[in-house]
Amino acid sequence: MAFRDLVMGGAGCAVPGQDGASSSNPLGGLADSIIGSASKTQERIREMPGLAGASQAGPQFGRNGPLTSLPGSEFNQAQWHDGQVPEYMRGFQSADPREFTDAWNQSVERWPPPPQLSTVPGNQEGALFSEFDSIYGQQAGPSGAPLLDAPPQRVLNNFLHSFFDSSRTNAPFPAVRLPELGLSQADKRRIRDRSHIMGRHIFADKGDTFVDSQVNGLLHSLDIDESLGAQTRGPLAGQIPEFEQLWKEGFAQSNMQVVPRPPMSLGTQWANEFHSQVGPSGAPQGWADEFDNLQTGNNWANQMQEQQSLSHLRNGQMGNMAGMEQTRSLVQTLSQNQDPKFQSSKFLQFVSKMSRGELIVEDNQVKSATTNADAWANEFQQQHPESWAAEFTAGEHQFRGDTWANEFARGKPEPVTTNDAWVDEFSKLGVKDWADEFGDQMARGALGDDVSSEWVDSYDQFVEESVRGEQMKAGSSRFVYQFADNNPYVGHPNPLKEGQELFRRGLLSEAVLALEAEVLKNPDNAEGWRLLGITHAENDDDRQAIASMVKARDADPSNLEVLLALGVSHTNELEQDEALRYLRGWLQHHPKYGALVPGNVSEQLIPSEVEGLFLEAAQMSPEDSDIHTVLGVIYNLSRNYVKAISSFERALQLKPRDYSLWNKLGATQANSSRSAEAIYAYQEALDLKPNYVRAWSNMGIGYANQGLYEESIRYYVRALEMNPKADNAWQYLRISLSIASRNDLLDAVERKDLSALAKEFPL
Amino acid sequence: MPVFRTAFNGYSVKFSPFLENRLAVPTSQNFGMVGNGRQYILDLTPNGLVQVAAFDTPDSLYDCSWSEENENILVSASGDGSIKVWDLSAPPMANPVSNRQEHAHEVASVDWNMVRKDSFLSSSWDDTIRLWTLDSPHSLRTFAEHSYCVYNACWNPRHADIFASASGDCTLRIWDVRQPRSTYVIPGHEMEILTCDWNKYNEFMLASGSVDKSIKIWDVRSPRQELTRMLGHTYAVRRVKFSPHKESLMVSCSYDMTVCLWDFRQPEDALLARLNHHTEFAVGVDMSVLVEGLLASTSWDESVYVWQMGMDPRAA
Repeated sequence: MAFRDLVMGGAGCAVPGQDGASSSNPLGGLADSIIGSASKTQERIREMPGLAGASQAGPQFGRNGPLTSLPGSEFNQAQWHDGQVPEYMRGFQSADPREFTDAWNQSVERWPPPPQLSTVPGNQEGALFSEFDSIYGQQAGPSGAPLLDAPPQRVLNNFLHSFFDSSRTNAPFPAVRLPELGLSQADKRRIRDRSHIMGRHIFADKGDTFVDSQVNGLLHSLDIDESLGAQTRGPLAGQIPEFEQLWKEGFAQSNMQVVPRPPMSLGTQWANEFHSQVGPSGAPQGWADEFDNLQTGNNWANQMQEQQSLSHLRNGQMGNMAGMEQTRSLVQTLSQNQDPKFQSSKFLQFVSKMSRGELIVEDNQVKSATTNADAWANEFQQQHPESWAAEFTAGEHQFRGDTWANEFARGKPEPVTTNDAWVDEFSKLGVKDWADEFGDQMARGALGDDVSSEWVDSYDQFVEESVRGEQMKAGSSRFVYQFADNNPYVGHPNPLKEGQELFRRGLLSEAVLALEAEVLKNPDNAEGWRLLGITHAENDDDRQAIASMVKARDADPSNLEVLLALGVSHTNELEQDEALRYLRGWLQHHPKYGALVPGNVSEQLIPSEVEGLFLEAAQMSPEDSDIHTVLGVIYNLSRNYVKAISSFERALQLKPRDYSLWNKLGATQANSSRSAEAIYAYQEALDLKPNYVRAWSNMGIGYANQGLYEESIRYYVRALEMNPKADNAWQYLRISLSIASRNDLLDAVERKDLSALAKEFPL
Repeated sequence: MPVFRTAFNGYSVKFSPFLENRLAVPTSQNFGMVGNGRQYILDLTPNGLVQVAAFDTPDSLYDCSWSEENENILVSASGDGSIKVWDLSAPPMANPVSNRQEHAHEVASVDWNMVRKDSFLSSSWDDTIRLWTLDSPHSLRTFAEHSYCVYNACWNPRHADIFASASGDCTLRIWDVRQPRSTYVIPGHEMEILTCDWNKYNEFMLASGSVDKSIKIWDVRSPRQELTRMLGHTYAVRRVKFSPHKESLMVSCSYDMTVCLWDFRQPEDALLARLNHHTEFAVGVDMSVLVEGLLASTSWDESVYVWQMGMDPRAA
């Protein structure tokens, strides 16, 4: 009977306008036949145990009443708001029409009433039921949410897979920079809540610390704020507050002597687990392995803790190192796992992707919510954080382009300070020491003996390469400029002038050669170095750009543009103090605004104070686009992207043809998840300067962020055609090809065969 | 035996109580973390498993249960806290024929009453269990005593008013809907309990599976100590199911990716078979009521297997 109502109600929704068409409704016949067939098939399961015994009440459960209504419903008082409801509930098979009269009347206005079967008693419910269906159907039909089938879905899926897979490896889940996946806040909240709860099922053995670090790794990678929205369902730690009371009640009720065993702290679980489970004689084979795993898990928890406290201790500078530390341990753990199932798991693919540089392990610190989103650093690669510096210098050149010749003519005093500051700065990072230590450990065989499978090898190789890379960076070579061989401009009578001319014509790679000839001829020419740095920056070669800029600073420590560039480069490295110091130095040395900076400069730098100084300067001369540009950089430093964007927009009102400002605006928009707008800004930059390699590759990033990977490939390829030395663009290209399932072209990337790539992805 | 590839990650599999060749498989995108759900209806044919219908939902689907009174009705438990009622005889546009949005968090399980046949239970991560009928658009009653997620609630196969629940608060509770409070509390495991099931031949016998990797068999009248404990899974036990045909036969699946068959009457040698056909977490398993020895399982590896006990699920 109830089902007949259901069918008729449901069908009514689909057949509007047939008021009370009961028996004439063709769907009525359908319902009859369905119900008929249902009752026939029911016969077949009568023999099932349990079904037959429905009337045999067990002594413990008391007497079964007749099945007319569900007993106990009256206990559900909280569910019913108005007093009349319990009455309705007692016999829910004959609904109280008053209950729904209002809703019904409302619905009639919007929905044609469904046909009703007058022959079926109690059919009002059916009608009401369908009314609810109509409303719900509108709200929550399958069409309500788009299916997530875009390319980011594959990334997300693979990524989540690696998260769950990490339960088998005991390896920490590294925070990885993913392309923007377009997750809504609600999606992020879902992932956060579900990973907290499900993570505890899967990683339960390994203790709370491990679970938290895994979940943090996941959330960090997906840019999910731990404090997002509603409270997280926490783990069960120790006594459940309500448990005891509930237990007592249950105890009193059942009148039995049972000692409650409250859940233990999960952190200490594994040891007990082991003790309790080693006991049984029937312990199945494989327990030994199990124990090994558990031990490894514990090691892991310790390592994680050490690591976390370490990175906490040394603060932000240790980000990269923490990531590498994890990588080391990851390799160590993975090499111990001989489970063939694991070896064939998708986790393998994830790791080998990392080894090919398609995924980049990034700063895995457990950070507070405010610093969680490293969008600024993320925009560019971890390995090349200097890009903005170079970038910014390029911009500076634009503002000051008309005066640089004068400055050059002015001549420069001998540099008073060396690059001590840099050396100090760098040794603080301690990267070299660490890298050496890491190398030693690797050499001592931390990887174990039976690292046989291919993927471990390739991972191993990746780690070694990374270490080498770190050593390169850590060593003196980081800021040593690499000159090209066979430079045709060496011996040119005026290479600087030639370089300027080539730069203006947009022949950046040629300009580099000419300017290299210039600085070889005049190593103390700050302007030559500076222009060289700008050229490299525009050509998307950050390492060389920074090396040039450091030389420029050596040659002229009070050069405003150089100070600014260094301020920005520290912004990239998230070294707020250093960045602010250089930016304040810029203001201090500025002929117009120098007076704003108080005479006795304190060592203590407060971001808001520096921001205040620049705001004052902006009040002094609101038409100075430089000031707005610096403000934009400062706001980027504090990740106040809204203000940063408006600062750059203000600067662009004053200098609408500054292509590097358009690029900065675009990068900031991309950082604040406004990649679609960023595309527009990059396009402006490219309209102004078609050979702006950096803007081409940024454009690619912008498309990739929106999940348009094929589109992004076209732009990376264009950037690389202009400058094949742009390492970042090669990296991004690999990622996009991989996500776009064009792994077949990765060979072409290895060969640096741009013509093959351009043929597949013409712009 | 047949295998079916789902587009999303499988979460559960249920044989129809009316049609011996029909199964329902709720699936979720992205391992149920975020994204859509899809409820599959599959038929076992001479050509293998064939999709009869599929319903998309805005959020993940974690479980489903066939109606015991009508072969075309199915309810699904969704991650958005809603319960979807599907009617295979209704036109696709009319589905879901009902949407019950009352749980505040993810609905983890649904179970139809085998005795009364007109009501079903849902359990949720909002710590509550709700009682429903198709006739009423609202739940009839809420059972709120657990202090953490309720992962499973299942009716006693003999008593219309008795059901058991398994919770992350490490307890099992036994309820009688005629009573205002739960009847028994069993502090069953030292870690979260993910699943429970009643023996079909012994009305007092309950099995539970936990994150602590063990399966325990209980006589609910003496909850102080389990009757037996079965070890063998190396990760959390996701689902346990008693055989409808043999009293001491059980099947379980686990995050260790295996499906295991057990005979709890042989405590020293309870593990009858360990099946390795899945390549990711095995989260759904069922035994056919209509065909003795017919088993089905699903996993996050996006596959559904149906096989006869004693056979290799992968055998063609």
